[in-house]
Amino acid sequence: MLVPNEYRGPEVATARTRASAVFAADGPAVSPFELIEPSALAEAVGLLDPNDSSVRAAAGCTALMLMMKAGVLKPRRLVSLRRIEPRYCAIEREPRAIRLGAQVTLAQIERSAVVRAALPAVCRTLERLANVRVRNVACIGGNLAHADPHMDLPALLIALDAGLVVHGGAGVRTLAVAELITGYMETALAGDELIAEVHIPIHATRRAVYRKVTTRSADDWPALGIAIALDMNPDGTAADARVVVSAATDRPTRLGEVEALVCGARIDDALLGRAGDAAAEQALIGDQHGSAAYKRELLRVHLRRALREAASAPPAAMTS
Amino acid sequence: MSAPRDSEPQIGRSVLRKEARAKLTGRAPYVHNLVLPGMLYGKLARSPVAHGRIRHIDTAAARDHPGVHRVLTGEDMRALIPDPHYGPAFHDQPILALDKVRYAGEPVALVLAADPHVAEAAAQSIEVEYDELPAVYDEVEAMTSKAVVHETLKPAGTFPDLKHLAGKRDTNIALDFHLRRGDVAAAFGRAAHVFEHTFKTQQVLHVPLEPFVTVAEPGDGRLTIHTASQSPSFVRSEIARLLGWAENRVRVQVPFLGGGFGAKLYIKLEALVAAAALIVRCPVKVAASMEEQFYTLTKHAATLRIKSGVDANGRIIARACEVWWNGGAYADIGPRITQKSGFTAPGPYDIDNVAVDSYALYTNLPPAGALRGFGIPQLVWAYESHADMIARAIGMDPLEFRRKNILREGRPQATGTVMRDAALGEVLERLAQRMRWNEPFDRGSAALRRGRGIAIGFKASISPTTSVAIVTVNADASCTLLCGTVDMGQGSDTAMAQIVGEVLGVAAEQVSVVHPDTDVTPYDMATLGSRSTYHMGNAVRRAAEDARDKLLALAAELGLAPETTPIPDLFRHKYGMQAGNVIGMGSFVPAYTPTDHASGQSDNVTPFWMVGATGVEVVVDTETGHFEVTRLVNVADCGEAINPALVATQLSGGAIMQLGFSTSEQMLFRDGQVTNASLAEYKIPGMLDMPARIENEAVAGNERGGPFGAKGVGESGTFGVSPAIANAIEDAVGVRLSALPLTAEAVYRALRAKRGEPLEDA
Repeated sequence: MLVPNEYRGPEVATARTRASAVFAADGPAVSPFELIEPSALAEAVGLLDPNDSSVRAAAGCTALMLMMKAGVLKPRRLVSLRRIEPRYCAIEREPRAIRLGAQVTLAQIERSAVVRAALPAVCRTLERLANVRVRNVACIGGNLAHADPHMDLPALLIALDAGLVVHGGAGVRTLAVAELITGYMETALAGDELIAEVHIPIHATRRAVYRKVTTRSADDWPALGIAIALDMNPDGTAADARVVVSAATDRPTRLGEVEALVCGARIDDALLGRAGDAAAEQALIGDQHGSAAYKRELLRVHLRRALREAASAPPAAMTS
Repeated sequence: MSAPRDSEPQIGRSVLRKEARAKLTGRAPYVHNLVLPGMLYGKLARSPVAHGRIRHIDTAAARDHPGVHRVLTGEDMRALIPDPHYGPAFHDQPILALDKVRYAGEPVALVLAADPHVAEAAAQSIEVEYDELPAVYDEVEAMTSKAVVHETLKPAGTFPDLKHLAGKRDTNIALDFHLRRGDVAAAFGRAAHVFEHTFKTQQVLHVPLEPFVTVAEPGDGRLTIHTASQSPSFVRSEIARLLGWAENRVRVQVPFLGGGFGAKLYIKLEALVAAAALIVRCPVKVAASMEEQFYTLTKHAATLRIKSGVDANGRIIARACEVWWNGGAYADIGPRITQKSGFTAPGPYDIDNVAVDSYALYTNLPPAGALRGFGIPQLVWAYESHADMIARAIGMDPLEFRRKNILREGRPQATGTVMRDAALGEVLERLAQRMRWNEPFDRGSAALRRGRGIAIGFKASISPTTSVAIVTVNADASCTLLCGTVDMGQGSDTAMAQIVGEVLGVAAEQVSVVHPDTDVTPYDMATLGSRSTYHMGNAVRRAAEDARDKLLALAAELGLAPETTPIPDLFRHKYGMQAGNVIGMGSFVPAYTPTDHASGQSDNVTPFWMVGATGVEVVVDTETGHFEVTRLVNVADCGEAINPALVATQLSGGAIMQLGFSTSEQMLFRDGQVTNASLAEYKIPGMLDMPARIENEAVAGNERGGPFGAKGVGESGTFGVSPAIANAIEDAVGVRLSALPLTAEAVYRALRAKRGEPLEDA
């Protein structure tokens, strides 16, 4: 069913509810559901029901539709965020951070000149995230809220100390991306909370890298993800470090021992060796992409390589 | 010829694919797009159990589901068709499970509804009670397993090359093929070196991007089947057989296919959809999901043991091969694979003393059938890995070892059939030249080691099979070809039009091709095994020649000059206006001598030989085992290339497909259930996995029996890929892998084992 014409008019400020049966001609079955497209984030929050898991928010729908087609998710109602206020679709360069609206698509970020200048590692990560069709519609808010441990961005954003602004029935709050993901596809969001904004701090001395390690085809889910952010002192030692592993753990996990080794140290071969060995102490999960024992060896090697790469990467540009 | 000859010859021209524009603009017809008035959609309920007796099927909830039209089970099929089993080799596969299920994913019930989502939801509410039976999954265990998949075996008797099929009662052996030539035991006794190695291949599948789909439309005492099938003639005769109808009451129409690769052969959804449509008396459509492809047809996993005796000069004097093919729960065309591939198991080498034992086995896994190469890639994986292992062991260059042993023109192959028009030596030499084999090679650095490898394989064509074609010349000199070959992406429409054009002196662009419609297009055995260019190509050539002869006779009858009178003038003179047709007919079936059941010997085992070789260069990361194929070179003998551009894409397409089977594709199972039945977890190669350099070459060849010297090329690119990669990995880092897929973890584990520091299992 098409959207009635008058619905698109700018004078329509209030949410309208419309029922829409979605049929995918002969394809995998998707049960009919109600689709609501509110025009304001606050209205979207109001349409969610913290006590009813069959009411779901929908952003780019790339993961959601796969789950619905597979029959693992059968929502009664989807609250689409595609028509909420334009500010949630904008990328802004603030003095000390990049602010991303939750409805910014991954392709928008990938192609953003301000993001590329300030946070080149984010753009490079996006180039190998899923594929161009997915990146064109998937949104940063939905991506993070999905909380699949194989995803690339959570690990990197944790390493970059990114934070979130969350709107919910109980009001607005902030939390770190590191606090968002609490387990395998589990988040700290309440049933009526939505990610509204993502803030990624910018530091003149910070260099970051993300390594996606796939073991089957290049477009496979990673067997292992490693994100590293280093704040470098002028003397070539590391002032601060974030080291996060993903895909081989049930959620992105900071490697505190490795961070402790790196902080204050010069990144030389001896340190890289010790850091790789320390990383390999982390308990990992084996899956179709590789056994736990193999992933441990991948982590040992790729952590070393990622650290070396981060230490030699140019710092982010500070021009605004 | 009566028409002024088009200036350009049509053979050897890279004519643009006839369907390219329609496909690129989204206008090409597919069964998936077909919607008929009053059509019901069917969704299947499938067994979660790998082997079990059906105690009870409860369809009440599904029947009561709002919107459900009808729920059908195997007993409904039995009420319509007394023996509702089908199959090309054995009539072993029930339309819906009867009495027992033999693999997890087997169809048990069909729900019909006007809305496919209703049908899907209702199918999930069907409850089946099973008495589980012991199951067998491994092909070698299946040889002696107490778990027997089929209690009785019913040979189909359809195809002349499978007439002897009997199966072995109370075993899982559907077919055993044996070949004996010379005195193997004596030759092993006098060999300077004897080598024995065992290789394994994994179960994979075709994953055409268009999954299986069939629509059946009942009519007045007739039935029309629209289906994505590679074998419309077989569908017609098999459906007619099941129903006890004359063949002309069944009409099978096939538009374009979104890929086939051997999956869409024989009967897949057609019997189910046909029976359902006849029961409910309205059109029925069943469209499989991508996941359901994993439960329909796969490629044989195999275990291959190969033993060779080599003399002091590096000549192979004896070879014994044992091959166990994991056919899954239903034989499909596995017995033919066992036989055809069985007799080439010793490889393209000149060996006087040969023994082959090849077994088609039933197991409780999804059925296996033909997949681009018909068993040959599994065999080449074994004998070309084995070749490099021997060469290394005796200190001979792998190319030199192959040169010394390669089967030359005029020499007998293991069956005793003398090799003719098979450019094995030339293909090997061209590959060596392209690889610059005799020049120094950059070995890379400490962490990133480089290596290269080659492999060569060959394949006998299917025989004896029939193709029939009709060429209609219209009064304006345009031509229409009626041809049962299915264009599933390989470009057969274009190649066949070129053959017509060459004979009649018109441009291929002027020849239209009518797609398979069994009411209109004549018989063709099937589009499989790279047979179409040779078999249908010969029939098309004969049909065009018949039309040409009739045009010449018409000119003579009218007293017109046959060489200079334009074709339209012939018709105007004959009929007084632009009217009438000339219709040419051609048919082709090659000569064939069946292999002797005891010795596997035949003086004419194939109408032609396909030859394909691949060379690769790899870079291996010694710290992780990750490797990359940086260069992929495919060389083949396809006789005369009718369309060089299509030949190149067939070679690269086959090689890339095999690259996936070599490195990333693998069906994973737990208790017989597929655990990665989706493209998210079953990884086919993507664009980023393409080697940076891919080269394809067809050597100058000529197949005397082929149309204008041509023969098939659809599978040749697959033959050598897997062993060439394994050989290159050993060349780079000194470890040998003997099981597919060649994963980074397998390379890493082998490197650790070589260092004496094996990685623990978990």
